[in-house]
Amino acid sequence: MPNKLTWLTLGLPLAALAGLSLSACKILPTPSAQGGGSDNSSAFNPDKRVKDIWASKVIPYLQQKAGPFAEVHALAKTDPAAAGAKYGNPKKQANSPWTFAVRVEGKIIAANTQSRAATIDVDVDGDGKADARVQIGPAMRGTAIRDSLDFVQFNDFTNQIDFAQFGKAFNAYADKMVLSKLSRDGLEGRTAKVLGAYTIESAQNLPLVTPAEAEIGPKP
Amino acid sequence: MKLTRRMTLAAFAGVLALGGAMPAYAADLIAIITPSHDNPFFKAEAVGAEAKAKELGYDTLVLVHDDDANKQSELIDTAIGRGAKAIILDNAGADATVAAVQKAKDAGVPSFLIDREINATGVAVAQIVSNNYQGAQLGAQEFVKLMAEKGNFVELVGKESDTNAGIRSKGYHDVIDDYPDLKMVAQQSANWSQTEAYSKMESILQANPDIKGVISGNDTMAMGAYAALAAAGRKDVIVVGFDGSNDVRDSITSSGIKATVLQPAFAQAQMAVEQASDFIKNKKSPEKEKQLMDCVLINGDNAPKLETFALKN
Repeated sequence: MPNKLTWLTLGLPLAALAGLSLSACKILPTPSAQGGGSDNSSAFNPDKRVKDIWASKVIPYLQQKAGPFAEVHALAKTDPAAAGAKYGNPKKQANSPWTFAVRVEGKIIAANTQSRAATIDVDVDGDGKADARVQIGPAMRGTAIRDSLDFVQFNDFTNQIDFAQFGKAFNAYADKMVLSKLSRDGLEGRTAKVLGAYTIESAQNLPLVTPAEAEIGPKP
Repeated sequence: MKLTRRMTLAAFAGVLALGGAMPAYAADLIAIITPSHDNPFFKAEAVGAEAKAKELGYDTLVLVHDDDANKQSELIDTAIGRGAKAIILDNAGADATVAAVQKAKDAGVPSFLIDREINATGVAVAQIVSNNYQGAQLGAQEFVKLMAEKGNFVELVGKESDTNAGIRSKGYHDVIDDYPDLKMVAQQSANWSQTEAYSKMESILQANPDIKGVISGNDTMAMGAYAALAAAGRKDVIVVGFDGSNDVRDSITSSGIKATVLQPAFAQAQMAVEQASDFIKNKKSPEKEKQLMDCVLINGDNAPKLETFALKN
């Protein structure tokens, strides 16, 4: 503020002349322009955040929530809402498909290790046909692990970019800690034991499971 | 800043007094503000929102900001001045828009954002956006498959001020960069524009005749790029877009562009109007401000079912 006398003598006529005099107003940054309470993008470190919650929250949540693949998938096909309530993330986006926590245990009957997006096809019910396709990295599709967690909300992120980076960080962490250590040779015929998540997609394709934990048994 | 507010209000009072010819029984007004309708995507949004608003008994005010944040700010003033009860907005910049939407909120007009996010929460009532990352991953996976996991490619990026440009590029790269035999030889912004994409593609092609694919941040740029490739006799180059426009649908069905990703623009705009109406009539906000709608891959298999940014059954 200029001194009071100046303002009184000059301010009023000036204001009248200029229509609106902003000379006495202080320009302050709009607080909302700074992202109102959500994370500051520059400080957002998705890899660290995943590392911090992986063992303490992610794995316990999936262990507690996951059902055997055959059960989850059968219910998902007949009654997606019921399957969602039991194995899914109840706080998912209203317009998104369900993502379920699952355990996949069975025999590997096919493996694609030629592609960077390597996968194993697992038969869980012993009929000799593949029931689920499990991603074993290093390239992985989707954000199933992130989307299965009821404590991760899009609303808590500044924008889709941060949310996406967080989703990718789960896959990268699983690859680094678990999948990169798995054997890639002679996978057919061996057993697989996986804890992970999958999102309901088109009916034609095998359900694509993203692992958080995975073990491959010895060669038969 | 009280003085400014009072002056503005006085100005509006003047406008209202002059507008005395307006019938007293006029229905509540919903303003629908989007980028230019030159891009059929934004036109579909405006058409979808307008149809739903009329169906629910509202008058509409349809405006375009041409991706100009200053113009957008003026249009918000117009909407406030005209006494709009809600604003449906596909905005002109994630940062620049925050203040404009705040201004509307301060004047008691709630905003319902579609398509593009802003970098703040608690200012708009709703932000309903396509899951651009999920969509970009679908597009990139199809691109990787079409490219057989190897070869040189070009990326055309959208307008930098729009979060969607960055998120789609990120979604593309999070998939493509996992394949070391896929090499990006050029990455340029064509600002969502068909003509700009045409000229950029021409010069990129001169410098890099050995390209095998082009992945584009939206359909209008994909159309521009494909036209340039066709003009140079390079229809063999694999082009993938994003949006799901009728133009690209027609190109896919006539073996031109290979794939795109459908954003449910029409449904999204209608959903925003429904939420706005619920807010106006029942003072009810949607459960979540930020809402994601999943995208769908469009290729030769389902392209014939695509019509005005929606899939027919």
